[in-house]
Amino acid sequence: MNRRGRETFSTYHPLVNMLYFALVFGCAMFFLHPVCLALSLSGAFGYALYLDGGKAVRFALLYMLPLLLLTALLNPAFNHEGETILLYMRDGNPLTLESILYGAAAAFMLITVIFWFNCYNAVMTSDKFVYLFGRLIPALSLVLSMALRFAPRFRDQIKVIANGQRGLGRDPGRGNLWRRARQGLRLLSILVAWALENAVETADSMKSRGYGLPGRSAFSIYRFDGRDRRALLFIALCGAYILRGAAAGGLRFTFFPALSGAGADPYSLSLFAVYGLLCFTPLFINGREEYRWKSFVSKI
Amino acid sequence: MPMKSSSIRVKLIAAAVAAAALLAAWLWDGSPPESAAPVSAQTLQDQYLTSPAPPDRPKPIEPDPGAAPGEERSCTLSVRCDALLANLDRLDAEKRRLAPADGVIFPATEVTFYEGESVFDLLRREMRSAGIHMEFTSVPLYNSAYIEGINNFYEFDAGELSGWMYRVNGWFPNYGSSRYRLQSGDEVEWVYTCDLGDDVGGGWAAGRT
Repeated sequence: MNRRGRETFSTYHPLVNMLYFALVFGCAMFFLHPVCLALSLSGAFGYALYLDGGKAVRFALLYMLPLLLLTALLNPAFNHEGETILLYMRDGNPLTLESILYGAAAAFMLITVIFWFNCYNAVMTSDKFVYLFGRLIPALSLVLSMALRFAPRFRDQIKVIANGQRGLGRDPGRGNLWRRARQGLRLLSILVAWALENAVETADSMKSRGYGLPGRSAFSIYRFDGRDRRALLFIALCGAYILRGAAAGGLRFTFFPALSGAGADPYSLSLFAVYGLLCFTPLFINGREEYRWKSFVSKI
Repeated sequence: MPMKSSSIRVKLIAAAVAAAALLAAWLWDGSPPESAAPVSAQTLQDQYLTSPAPPDRPKPIEPDPGAAPGEERSCTLSVRCDALLANLDRLDAEKRRLAPADGVIFPATEVTFYEGESVFDLLRREMRSAGIHMEFTSVPLYNSAYIEGINNFYEFDAGELSGWMYRVNGWFPNYGSSRYRLQSGDEVEWVYTCDLGDDVGGGWAAGRT
């Protein structure tokens, strides 16, 4: 079942979405405390699961797990800092517990950010992005929204070109290696020419329609109502509390020379609780909405 | 026709890019910029950028990992971080507790080495058997190991001029520890500097007189 059509958090005002993701990205990238990592990863994975179901799990198992292992193993190969020496490598450098754990933490951070980015892509469509930043930074927001569309668009176009070439009898998947390489290069050259031409035409088209001119309005379907105000206030308050706590050292954690960090004092616990609340906000909103929907249906 | 004009523009852009690339390739022939240093100073250095050692000091040797260990000899080794104690405030809060109160990480000890070994070989073996953390990296440019950290005190831990240096019989060699061949009775000291050697009396080894 595709639930994206009924997803509630993406129907909030783009400002709410943007603030939420900016906050969650920043926190995921800078908080290396294991509790924060676990909260953020479970929030991101849960939301990705909710947004596109089995695809997220498959993606996680296929790409994220090997990436996790690779990153966790790569760090102790280059970093030998730490107090707990497990054994010695062949060249005489020590293998330390701390460097392995740091590699694992960095790997968890990496896949957390990738999962958040998956959610971001599903929620913050390019029209929302341009709506938010089109007035403020017209050129940059257009470039950004084009750049983010770049890879999927190229993938689609290369399929079109390959089909066209196949229709001409120049199947890029047939023939010996030399022929296939030549066809592949021809495909790439067509693609690049198309991309350049397309960029010029898009720019001309935007210019002729007066993009970014003062006094020009744009159609948008977004309304900032009470629901958005409440959500914005909630996210901003959570964010302010967490950032203030992080600045005060309530979330600090160091791996070197030995593991140490903020632990079970009440202030840190409250920070963890608020951070968890923030990470699970979209899931809470969706859960509440589904509960409401079901209770309305049952009342009819 | 708009289609035609834009494709001409694309060709123009492509031609401009290609011309720029050709120009860049013609101007830059891949060789590094010429050094301003006088030729005589360059010829005095060996192939690992090392200036000649003073006449009364041993010349650097090139390490040979395949060599068989020679006869047993003995020398003294110590590892100290006195300069660090004066700069504890610049150290990470988590690392301060690692600093010994008297600055001695490895007290001056009579240790065994094998003929032909270098100062680095000795340090690696002794730190390992004493269970003291030590990390190094091999630098092909200087054909030597570089000691990044001992006892979790790393280079740059106490400011950007800090790191480990070694002294043999009171002299700071101007080449890497893998190239210093040990002699019987040598007195090897590893010291942590916070000022590029100036605070431990080895500023000249860092290229200053």
